[in-house]
Amino acid sequence: MIILFVVLPLVVAGLLPLAGKASKRLLPDLLANATLLFLVAYAAVAGRALIADGPVLQQTTWLGEALGIRLVLDGFSLFMLVVVALVGLAASLFSIDYMEHYGAKGNFYALYLVMIAGMNGLVLASDLFAVYVFLEVAAVASYALVAYGLGRDELEAAFKYLMLSVVASAFLVGGIAVVYGMTGGLDFAAVAMALKELNAGPALAVASALFLLGFGLKAALIPFHAWLPDAHPSAPAPISAVLSGLLIKVSGVYALTRVFLNVFGLTPALSTVLLWLGAVSAVAAAFLALGQKDIKRMLAYSSISQVGYVVLAIGVGTPLGIAGGLFHLFNHALAKGLLFLTSGSVQRATGTRDLDAMGGLAKRMPVTAATNLVGALSIAGVPPLNGFWSKLIIIVALVQAGHPVFAAVAVLASVLTLWYYLLMQRKAFFGRLNETWAAVREAPFWMTASTVLLALLCVGIGILFASTVTTWVRPAADVLADGIHAVAGSWGF
Amino acid sequence: MTPKMLLLPVLLPAVLAVALLLLPRALRLVRDALAVAGAGVLLYYGFLFFSVKDLRYAVPWLGMGIDFDLRLYHFSSFILLALAGFLFLIAVYATVKMKDAPRGREFMAYVFLTAAFANGAALANNFVPLVFFWEGLLVTLYGMIAIGGRPTSGRTAVKALLIAGFCDFSLILGVGLLWSVAGTATMSEIAVEPTGLAAAAFVLMMIGAAGKAGAMPFHTWIPDAAVDAPVTFMAFLPAAFEKLLGIYLLARVSLDFFKLRPGGAMSVLLMIVGAATIVLAVLMALVQKDLKRLLSYHAVSQVGYMILGIGTAVPVGIAGGVFHMINHAMYKSGLFLSAGSVEHRAGTTELKKLGGLRRDMPLTALGFVVCALAISGVWPLNGFVSKEMVFHGALETGYTVFAVAAWIGAIFTFASFLKAGHSVFFGERTTDVPEVKESPAAIVLPILVLAALCVLFGVYNKLPLDRLITPVVAPHAEAGAHLDFTGHALDLFNVVALISVGCLVLAFLIHRHGFLKGGRKAYLASEPFHGLPGIRQAYDLAEKRVFDPYEQGVKALQGLSLALYKAVDRPIDFVFEKAVTAAGEKFTGILKKAHNGHYANYLAWCLAGLVILAGAIGLLAK
Amino acid sequence: MILQTALLAVLVALSVLAIALKDLLRSAIALALASLVLGIVFFRMGAPYAGVFEISVVAGLITVLFILTIALTKSGDEVRESKLANIVFPVVFVAFLAIDALVMKRLMGKVPALARGGEAGTFGEVLWKGRTLDLVGQIAVILAGVFAVLALFRQRDKHE
Repeated sequence: MIILFVVLPLVVAGLLPLAGKASKRLLPDLLANATLLFLVAYAAVAGRALIADGPVLQQTTWLGEALGIRLVLDGFSLFMLVVVALVGLAASLFSIDYMEHYGAKGNFYALYLVMIAGMNGLVLASDLFAVYVFLEVAAVASYALVAYGLGRDELEAAFKYLMLSVVASAFLVGGIAVVYGMTGGLDFAAVAMALKELNAGPALAVASALFLLGFGLKAALIPFHAWLPDAHPSAPAPISAVLSGLLIKVSGVYALTRVFLNVFGLTPALSTVLLWLGAVSAVAAAFLALGQKDIKRMLAYSSISQVGYVVLAIGVGTPLGIAGGLFHLFNHALAKGLLFLTSGSVQRATGTRDLDAMGGLAKRMPVTAATNLVGALSIAGVPPLNGFWSKLIIIVALVQAGHPVFAAVAVLASVLTLWYYLLMQRKAFFGRLNETWAAVREAPFWMTASTVLLALLCVGIGILFASTVTTWVRPAADVLADGIHAVAGSWGF
Repeated sequence: MTPKMLLLPVLLPAVLAVALLLLPRALRLVRDALAVAGAGVLLYYGFLFFSVKDLRYAVPWLGMGIDFDLRLYHFSSFILLALAGFLFLIAVYATVKMKDAPRGREFMAYVFLTAAFANGAALANNFVPLVFFWEGLLVTLYGMIAIGGRPTSGRTAVKALLIAGFCDFSLILGVGLLWSVAGTATMSEIAVEPTGLAAAAFVLMMIGAAGKAGAMPFHTWIPDAAVDAPVTFMAFLPAAFEKLLGIYLLARVSLDFFKLRPGGAMSVLLMIVGAATIVLAVLMALVQKDLKRLLSYHAVSQVGYMILGIGTAVPVGIAGGVFHMINHAMYKSGLFLSAGSVEHRAGTTELKKLGGLRRDMPLTALGFVVCALAISGVWPLNGFVSKEMVFHGALETGYTVFAVAAWIGAIFTFASFLKAGHSVFFGERTTDVPEVKESPAAIVLPILVLAALCVLFGVYNKLPLDRLITPVVAPHAEAGAHLDFTGHALDLFNVVALISVGCLVLAFLIHRHGFLKGGRKAYLASEPFHGLPGIRQAYDLAEKRVFDPYEQGVKALQGLSLALYKAVDRPIDFVFEKAVTAAGEKFTGILKKAHNGHYANYLAWCLAGLVILAGAIGLLAK
Repeated sequence: MILQTALLAVLVALSVLAIALKDLLRSAIALALASLVLGIVFFRMGAPYAGVFEISVVAGLITVLFILTIALTKSGDEVRESKLANIVFPVVFVAFLAIDALVMKRLMGKVPALARGGEAGTFGEVLWKGRTLDLVGQIAVILAGVFAVLALFRQRDKHE
């Protein structure tokens, strides 16, 4: 019943506004978090057993008649489902306390669950057009969520986000049209097989460019990044966490890799373009993060940089590179989610996002400071945290694939990352307590609890990295490393 | 003894670290007892492992050549034993010295965590666990400096972490390159010629190893940390642990992984790094006015001898470098601990304020003097023996210039220790420091133990040379070559030794001249040299950190960041920004300006991007 | 064929006008006309359902909404822009058209033409049998839209 990943959040989302009428807080909190908890449990516990004998293809039936709903669960989609559910759960736990001030919690959770459903649908979809549709589901929900605070900045950021996103969608539809025109199908399997027969290099180049531009905008790769540093900081903290931690990865990186590696097949040309896009994003955005004074903007630029890292690794195309990239995607989702949540705690406690105005908050908010440190060190790649392993694997993979220059670039980006995170930690939490914050108190229970949950995951995965990689990352990387065979052979209905 | 036992040196300190962190402040005595007992157990096992010498614990980990692989052999067992010994002494010392420190509990935990990582790094036989343990040391390095409690501690901690981080990332890159060249990540199976890509790998790994040991130009955090971090930390990490690990890895890199040839390019490169480090750092040390800062510059300078020794790639030089590593760890640790003892009682380590402490603190003074003589290479202490070996090695390669550099280093080392010892323990009492007592036993004992070891390793140098050093060098010497390094160990009547002694005499004369010229004030003894034309200006620039690659790098990178932001990000954002305000005004009326040119520009941007991408992919596909 | 080409050219021209026109009302009307032409193109290419939706929803309903919004929003002062900014789009657009014309014909010639009408059946059948998942997606989009409206036009809580 893998369609549950899409339908359950949608159904609960439909119920939530009604529930919100009945009880302002308790019922929406309970329903939304229980749904996500269920998804985590389902994906993490049952998922492995489901795909034990290869990918699961599900053809839904309605009153005995086959319907046009075809979902596929393989190693890669299961991996993404786990990531989405985990970070989604943490952010929604955080919302229990954080969204108190915003009001209309039922509506908030409803939008939130629609966004989750959109991401899950995208991950499970088995044809190009469905990818587009679910991309839009998640995007439409996210526009509203960015604007949720209703302040001027939020509305403007949401609008900017909307306008740029629409252009991305237009390019995607264009790409899908070209592919449909060439192959007459939309199914991943059908397209992959048809493209293999068809020797349509130049037309495929146009389609690739359209997809690259569309997904690149969604993933905020440089130079398509300008919307992200406005949109992500303006949103409420749990939404920033999900946007940076999940949405850019699912609608950008996941879709991009699925289409390019499994459907089109990674050609050397594509590989080169991906390597360059990734490397430029990783380094340039790291430099840009260094200059930020606003804690959430710094995190937003860091997201661009880390997505660049992931794309760089996947662009290598070797099994080790892909595994490293996916592992980094996972680690970054956890750590960046964590950092946006802690920045939310700080913003709620102090009312500011300006790093220069903070200082010494560790004395007032020890748990937040500690979890923030874990997240920062994890992304910066300091052992024994999870981010260290993924960066190590990526660098080794780059060297082994014969790209020592890109490896050096990755190392440079790592050093820069370490630097700006230390800067952030020192300015915000260490040093002398700024007198203004003498009365600041630690964040409420659920906010700290969710950050502690993510921090523990970062540490735990860092220590148990070998089993994490073999259980979750390797099956996903294998699917991608198989290239079009993973789809063309076994995905027929 | 089963292979699984190899996990003990890694896991026991890690568990202890957590336990020490969790024990409440009220149970300080329990905490201290636990720390000392734990360190004692580790020391016991250090001896045990040293007697076993051959053990391997390997379990498959990730596949693709990544295994959890620990290997005990003579070199790693030697390092393991040394690490355990220092850990024990530091643990004893810290029970008193860190008693009233505001964050002493964290300090103890960090010490044991460091020990866990260091033991792991020494035992690792696969690059991935090696890098893991190696990088883990970053965390504790940062933590131990950050808890120094001074306003600039945080800044220094960041500096240390970034420099060390840079070196570590170089190491990773080098490991990656070597891995792809050699085709395996198992360290004991690697031996390649340092040419081509492998030469790049060698340089990168050398940066990683020498940077950990604190060689120039990766040393600049050490003098800062001497002021900002607890002095126990200085005796522990920069003086002992980091030297042991850095030089251990450097020796592995230049002897095992790469086949270094005497006189080859890589060998000369190493010798240049070593010689430059010796001379430049010792010149900085000479003019320091604070005992801890002075010592810290020596901690850098002495690394030069080890690198020079290993870089010669001749057996006697390598043996000298490795022997110097263990000797240096002993006397430099002893010196820092004595400085800590002085600080403990007198409350300051500024040379100007101290004087005549030999009567108040005779045992500390004794320890300091022995260690200072050892580091200066005075006969018959251990420093003399290892330095002689390095001199011989350098001469053997035919590059006399490096031997000269090493002798220059010896002159100024002795001169600066004459100045330091004279200022602190001899001469007249100053009024800045009231009557003080000798420090408690827990502080004095480790100093005396280290001093005694300095004497032992000097006078009875056969013991360490035969038991510790020869097995390390033996596999790298030509088959059948006669390996006896004890031959001219304490021999005074050969040219090399006579020049060395001449250097010491010269140093004494320099000190005496400065002392008399500075109005019989020992702390001014280096002023005549300091005042030479050209030299003062160079020192002033150095004090302003003009030569500090970190500070200059920070400036340059910040400039680059700003430039990128202004020149690249903002223009891109301008297009997008205008697009939004324009569109936003149109449809929502948030802003009351009606213009729409820029959204069109944004679309134009995307269209152009599309054409370029399609062209690029099309072209590349051909 | 000539009529088809002419219609497509008009469509592109109207779309460009919708972007480039300074006056919002005219811009909206240009957009409506573009949708109308697109609807006609759909009809001519044998996609009546798409044509009906395009004309009724996009050309009709959305345009009405636009015009209502514009009428409700007071127009402000014109903002002066640099001349340079104004010529970027025309220049790039013309360049794009030129490249498009040069490359596409050759490119498409290389792709084998598809057999016409691969999926037979009525619109309803196609949607229900072939693309049910998209319906789920559509429901989700509509849900998101409704919740967005609810959320963005909600009464703020009293304490704020």
